[in-house]
Amino acid sequence: MSTGTVRTPDLAAPVPRPARTPRAVPRWVWALPPVAGLALAFLYPLVLVVQQSFTPDTGGHDLSAYREVFASTGFREALWTTVWIAVGSTVGCLVLGFALALVIAFVPFPGGKALSRFIDIFLAFPSFLITLALLFVYGTVGMANGLWTDATGAAGGPVDFLHTPWGVLLAEITYFTPFVMRPLLAAFSQVDTAQIEVASSLGAKAPRIVRQVILPEALPSLAAGGSLVLVMCLNEFGIVLFTGAKDVTTLPMLVYSKAILESDYTGACVVAVVNIALSVALYGLYRAVVARTAAGGRRAGA
Amino acid sequence: MSTEPGGPEAVPTSRAVRSGIRFDHVSVTYGDLTVLDALDLTVEPGEVLALLGPSGSGKTTALRAVAGFVRPSGGRVLIGGQDVTDLPPHRRGIGMVVQQYALFPHLRVDQNVAFGLKAQRTPRAAIPGRVAEALEMTGMAGYARRYPRELSGGQQQRVAIARALAIRPGVLLLDEPLSALDAQLRSGMLAELARLHRELPDVSILYVTHDQIEALTLADRIAVMDKARLQDCGTPQDLYRRPRTEFTASFVGSANLLPVRVAGEGALHFGDAVVRAAELPKGAVEGAEATMCVRPHALRLAAAGAAGGAANSLRGTVTGVQWRGSTHRLLVDAGGHEIRADVGDLRQPPAVGATVTLAFDPEDTVLLPAGVGTERPLLERV
Amino acid sequence: MLVHSRSGRWAVWTVFFVLFLPLFALPFAVIALASFATHWSGAFPSGATLTHYQDITRGESLDALTTSLVTALAASVLALVVGGWAALAADALRGRGRRLLDALFMLPVAVPSVVVGLSLLVAFSKPPLLLNGTRGIVVLAHTVLVTAFAYQSVAAAVARLDPAYEQSAASLGARPAYVLWRVKLPLLLPSLTAAAGLCFALSMGELSATMMLYPPDWLPLPVKIFGATDRGSLFSGAALAVVLMVTTLVVLLGVSRIRTRAAYR
Repeated sequence: MSTGTVRTPDLAAPVPRPARTPRAVPRWVWALPPVAGLALAFLYPLVLVVQQSFTPDTGGHDLSAYREVFASTGFREALWTTVWIAVGSTVGCLVLGFALALVIAFVPFPGGKALSRFIDIFLAFPSFLITLALLFVYGTVGMANGLWTDATGAAGGPVDFLHTPWGVLLAEITYFTPFVMRPLLAAFSQVDTAQIEVASSLGAKAPRIVRQVILPEALPSLAAGGSLVLVMCLNEFGIVLFTGAKDVTTLPMLVYSKAILESDYTGACVVAVVNIALSVALYGLYRAVVARTAAGGRRAGA
Repeated sequence: MSTEPGGPEAVPTSRAVRSGIRFDHVSVTYGDLTVLDALDLTVEPGEVLALLGPSGSGKTTALRAVAGFVRPSGGRVLIGGQDVTDLPPHRRGIGMVVQQYALFPHLRVDQNVAFGLKAQRTPRAAIPGRVAEALEMTGMAGYARRYPRELSGGQQQRVAIARALAIRPGVLLLDEPLSALDAQLRSGMLAELARLHRELPDVSILYVTHDQIEALTLADRIAVMDKARLQDCGTPQDLYRRPRTEFTASFVGSANLLPVRVAGEGALHFGDAVVRAAELPKGAVEGAEATMCVRPHALRLAAAGAAGGAANSLRGTVTGVQWRGSTHRLLVDAGGHEIRADVGDLRQPPAVGATVTLAFDPEDTVLLPAGVGTERPLLERV
Repeated sequence: MLVHSRSGRWAVWTVFFVLFLPLFALPFAVIALASFATHWSGAFPSGATLTHYQDITRGESLDALTTSLVTALAASVLALVVGGWAALAADALRGRGRRLLDALFMLPVAVPSVVVGLSLLVAFSKPPLLLNGTRGIVVLAHTVLVTAFAYQSVAAAVARLDPAYEQSAASLGARPAYVLWRVKLPLLLPSLTAAAGLCFALSMGELSATMMLYPPDWLPLPVKIFGATDRGSLFSGAALAVVLMVTTLVVLLGVSRIRTRAAYR
């Protein structure tokens, strides 16, 4: 019965091949309901914003609103403020986050684990709490100036930067540093400790090990974390709003004030389009960086 | 054989339907890469067929094509005479056990075993009995209320087998089921699987493995695969005694493969030496090249120049001696070829550098086409 | 392991805490302190009081808390359904389809929240869909903003899921719907609850889009906190902030307990 045949050319009894069973539904059909929801609640409104930005109140479609907005010094200053605060905050977050994560990962101390959990919780809190807290630390009433007046007996303290861009910068660095630390801690946990031990057994001192062993491993995470923070800083609103300074206007703040305070929807839409373009371009960069980082760890196919 | 026309919807609810598997010219390609090349193979109902091959040989792909997780780019897969090529996996009525068991961690052992029965809407009242039966069969009846993580690797393996058997499949697919177990457990499970098959004589088993011991122990027939192709197929004894390719000869058991040239009068030249095979293929042309396969244990040490009778003899220099407990393995350089010989425990093994004569009988040799695993006709004139 | 000498380690730790404590721990400490005070003119606040908290137990502040809770609950459930569904659908696709879904559902992260608010104002201020001024528009905005995070967490969990479970289930005769319900969703439960917790927390703290949209009868906690600090009532704002943080923490903690229960069941 079971003679071992390498090639069995016999298909004597032609087996009826069943009619191709109609495959239930193509898989992409299952993606349609959530995509439809997203389209209605997010994409369609976004398209309307772009459309509105080309539609001045007088009717018709033209670029007059853009010309008007670009010509105003308020917008140009807001653009510049947004960009430099975002870039400054990002650099600050990267330096601070790298240093702190380095200590947690490689100079471990009791309670380090709890600290990592604290950082996770930090990420779940809203950003404006930081500004609120800074008001009590560096505000006109508050800890820093209080210490000064207690010590010198002066009527007021010298610390008064909260309502300047520096206040925003400090708040953003404080709030966004954990966003850099989290991916870094994940990357550091992947670093082979044997490599560090071998390096130090070969006589390398800590700075050299950091530069030559740890930094190359952390670079993708630094890039990913940095570009994410840059995007989030460009879009940050709560911190700026709570600072309450008239002379610190960023793009999101400008959108808010044009739409809600001035009811200039077309102008708000123009600023919004500029902000979207800036952020989405940077976010695309971030995704590309993350995709390159993750490419190594993709799950193997069949 | 009585193959009931078990349609895919008529998933067996009584005793397993006798159904075999047939690969009808099944190919699987990913882009330019062919991972399975026109496989023709039949697993008879009730037979255990081992797909044996190194990793990347296409054996797992063949199994996954039966299960329905790989879609053939050509050919048909038949189960119980029914073309299942276009059927989704859940309508094929197969049982499958994979290397890492894949027990559902959120379900107890009994719930794992009941999973397939519930999924196939077996009458509720029948389920506990079927679960108990399957667990009994695999010796896991005492563990019904445990969670998978509370079991050892071997126990998880038994539950995985029970889960596959509970649905009473006509066909059981085993994908390297023992490779995650340590050596001792593995031989125990091997005996266990053999017993299960005796108890379930109607179930056809396709057993994918890279381990020749598993294949030789368990299989009614072995299909040897390499480089996406079926190289050889036959009973274990058949493959061991009469391999058809160099690949089979060296993959199933170990083998000395000696390049020989056909001389006149049934003689073969191995370098300067003249050797004889049991039989020369018909139409063997003088001057044609072939490979002579001799198993290491078929070789013995002979006194110089006294091989005796019709035995072949080869002279060579000892290059290594390894003691393996019951045997000595001699590595002998004969005419520039390393020959391995397993000879009984020697009180005084030859020293490295000594000249020895190895003898072997023509009956213990097989002539193969030259070249590894090629399908060139035997004794083609070069 | 990087710094071997004892003194070196202490030096590193000292620098670490000198940076870490003022930057990250101090903010929460001062808010908590301020919430119990009426004045802050010295190094420490003065005028210990509980009145800020007593105020929260009634009136508008209590309304703001329930508003936030209801909004966050609704938004996180909706986001989990939409984002989780999309992530599961994306997993079944490959190549271009999956990348498209990834890009679409992660896009809300890149768009400023204020702009999301503005876009909803522009889109739903006129018939046929007149949502402006309703509570629904706030929930909708929160849902849009947190769906991306739900999608991201669930997609990551689905990618980590061993395909052998799904395939074993299918080989046992389980239809795809049965596999989803009995195998995939139970195995994903810990990730789903974690995603829900994250969405809830983010929605509780959402301010940017809400500032653009909130109707007068639907004031979430962050808006209320801004109102208080804008008026100069910093101390009652601090008490509200403490309530916001504690509520968020309690929910996150509760969710992590569900996670461990599900994993060890």
